[in-house]
This record gives sequence, C-alpha cells and structure tokens, in this order.
Amino acid sequence: MTLQDRLLAAHAHGDRHALVALYTQAADQAAETDAACFYLTHAYIFALETGDAAADALYRRLKAHGRV
Amino acid sequence: MVQDPLDAVRQPIETAKGLPNAHYIDPATFEQEKHAVLWANWTGLAVTADVPENGDAKPVTFLGMPLLLIRDRAGLVRVFENICRHRGMILVSEPKKIEGAIRCPYHSWCYATDGKLVSTPHVGGPGHNTHDAIDKTTLGLTEIRSHIWFDTVFINIDGTAAPFQQVHADLIARWAAFDQPMHHGGPDSRFALDLKTNWKLAVENYCESYHLPWVHPGLSSYSRLEDHYNIAEPGQYSGQGTLVYRQLSGDDGQTFPDFPGLSDNWITGGEYMAVYPNVLLGVQRDHAFVIVLEPQSLAATREHIHLYYATAQTDAALRAKNATRWRAVFEEDIFVVEGMQKGRHAPYFDGGRFSPAMDGPTHCFHDWVAAKIATHRRV
Repeated sequence: MTLQDRLLAAHAHGDRHALVALYTQAADQAAETDAACFYLTHAYIFALETGDAAADALYRRLKAHGRV
Repeated sequence: MVQDPLDAVRQPIETAKGLPNAHYIDPATFEQEKHAVLWANWTGLAVTADVPENGDAKPVTFLGMPLLLIRDRAGLVRVFENICRHRGMILVSEPKKIEGAIRCPYHSWCYATDGKLVSTPHVGGPGHNTHDAIDKTTLGLTEIRSHIWFDTVFINIDGTAAPFQQVHADLIARWAAFDQPMHHGGPDSRFALDLKTNWKLAVENYCESYHLPWVHPGLSSYSRLEDHYNIAEPGQYSGQGTLVYRQLSGDDGQTFPDFPGLSDNWITGGEYMAVYPNVLLGVQRDHAFVIVLEPQSLAATREHIHLYYATAQTDAALRAKNATRWRAVFEEDIFVVEGMQKGRHAPYFDGGRFSPAMDGPTHCFHDWVAAKIATHRRV
C-alpha cells in the first residue's frame, strides 16, 4: 500500500490523527520545499483540529520556511 | 387620523385590548416583531447545560440564523455565528467536542474555541499560509452578545439592549436567594414540546394563574387558585406566585434537598416568571426550571424545558417522577395555546378584553411588546 493509498484511506475513514502522521511523512519525503510545505500545512491543520501535540513542531517547521 | 391598534393595547387594563390578530398570523408583523422584540432585547437561546464541558459545541438555528453555542477552552460559554469568515460556510453541523480547533470543512480555515482565527491554509498559494491582505486578527468568528443568568444563555442579537444586569435588576434582586449553584437534572430532566402556536401565546398562558383550575385541575388540587398572586412589573416582567408550594415526595417519603439559605417565604411558596421576551422560569424550595421558547416560525414554537436541583446528585426515581409531573402539566396547556392560535384567524376578534383582577400579567406582557414595537418604529 503506497503512501498515497494510505492517505486516501485515512481521508475516507476520517482518521485525522493518521492524516497528521501521513502528511508529515509525505512532507519528509518531498524533494522540494514548496511541496514539503504543502504537506506540512495539511499535517498542521489536522493536528490543530484534533489538538494533536504534533501541532507545535509542525508550526515551527512551517515557520522556519516563512509559511505561517 | 387612523389610530394605531397598539394604542389600545397600551391603555390601562380596564379598557385595554390584547394584541391584534396580526401579531399572531401575519408574516409581515412577525418579521417586524422579530427585529423589535426578539433581536433588540435579551432573548433566551439555550442553557449552559447544553454544553457542559470545555470544548463542547452545539449548532443552534435561531429565527433562521445559524449560531454556535460553545464552551471555550477556558470554560466560558459564548455564542458565535456558525459560519466561516471566508466563504460563509457552516462550520459545525452537529453537536460535538472540539478537541483542538474548529476547522471549516470547506477550505480548512481554523478557529480557536474563543473565536480567534488561527490558521488560513494555502491562503497565499499552495504551502503559503499567510497573505498580506488577510489579517487574521480581524477575521475571528462573529460573536453574538450574550449573558448567562439562571443557567440560561440570553442573547442580544442587534447589540442595542442595555446591559442584562441593568434591564433585569429588579428580577435579579427579587430572586437573589436563588443566585446559587443549580444543577441540571441530566437527560431525564430535559424535554421539548412542539406547539403549533405563536411563541407569545405560550408566554401569555404561562404567566397567568386564571386558567389553573380549569386547565390543570390536578395541579389545583394541591395548588389552589386562591393561593396564587399576580406579578406584573410594567416594562419588565410578569408572572404568578403561589403562597403554598407542596413538595413532591417519593414512595418512601423522600424529597429533594432544598436550596440552602432560603427565607421562610421561599420554603412555603414558589414563583413562576416570564422573563421577556421568551424565557419562562420557575423557582421553588427544592427545584427550579427553565423554559426557553424557540420561535420556529409565525405559528410554530418549540418549548425547551429543563429541571434543576440544589445538589448534583438526586434520587433518580424522584427526578423522573418530577419530570413526568411537569411534562403532564405543560402538555395540558398545549390545546389552549394552539386553540388561541387558531382563534386569531377570526377576523372580528379585536384582541380580547382582560379581567382587571386576573389578567394583569398578560396585559403587562402585551404592553411591553407594544412598547418595543413602538420604539422600533421610531428608530
């Protein structure tokens, strides 16, 4: 199962905690900053919504790129 | 010169007429009343027990307006428009616990439970979450002015009313003995009744005792008409009181614990008040209730009833018995408020005449409504 498949499955099940982890993984694998920040944004938003402790670290990563 | 029919409403009770039919059956008058009466004053929306824990959020549609009742992270109960400041999308579509932030399901703008806009994903382009034109500090959720009293969430939609404590200073002082913790009885102590009537008829019926022996013969067997007194404070509130309140007891003779520190008059009596426009309250030594009338349309009203006790833990069987008793009483009123609504289609009905001895509380309410409409017309 590819990362894309797992992302789609998490969306289908509304598993927002999984989406935080999967979008973070997608960001880590991205070759370009813009693509990484796109995925980091999604991870951050789902972390914010769910009160996930990862939100702070994700915010700092986006901040480091001037994206928040 | 054509005389305003509301002038007849504002006369002394001996010569006054009730509100004309249009106030119950005419859509244009309902629309005017919506602004003059329900938006311009402190109107009941809900009870804080609807959102008992921090983060609890409940969407409420009031007069067609999408509102969000929420207990924020700090425990403060507040009311917002339930829409995103971006595209006006509904934010919360069912009661839920907000674990972190309120995320708009459309473009995922996120709001804190205190209404602050905290994130605008991709607003500056993919992966760019800021834009110079989007100042988050000015785009928080739109808050509706609210005030909590008697566990009731009152809202002033147009923001023009004087402060709640000022408007209701007399009533707050009158019932100061009950300014103490009240505990909602829980799921078995809340119920709703759907009434095919204009909301005002439910107020009018509630605040007078004249009908008790005829409509509530069971209630009158232990709460007699002659034990009741009228309460009518012009421009403020009206209702009724009883000098004789008999406690409900269970199979083993158990009763609910009293609210602490009550004076003797509260041990023997009780009072039932219409807090204009749409909240009906009742206080007795051992329990209280809150009724919020939700005007759903011109001729449809949902009555939300909540029972409260002096302690967090009460006898479940006795609580159920009490809820059953009050439900029976309030259901006995349905045919009356629905019958009066039908009666408002009689073209020659002139608003009716009041009993100067018995209808003071109803006249007081009509006078208040007429005054609010007159004020609204002048503005």
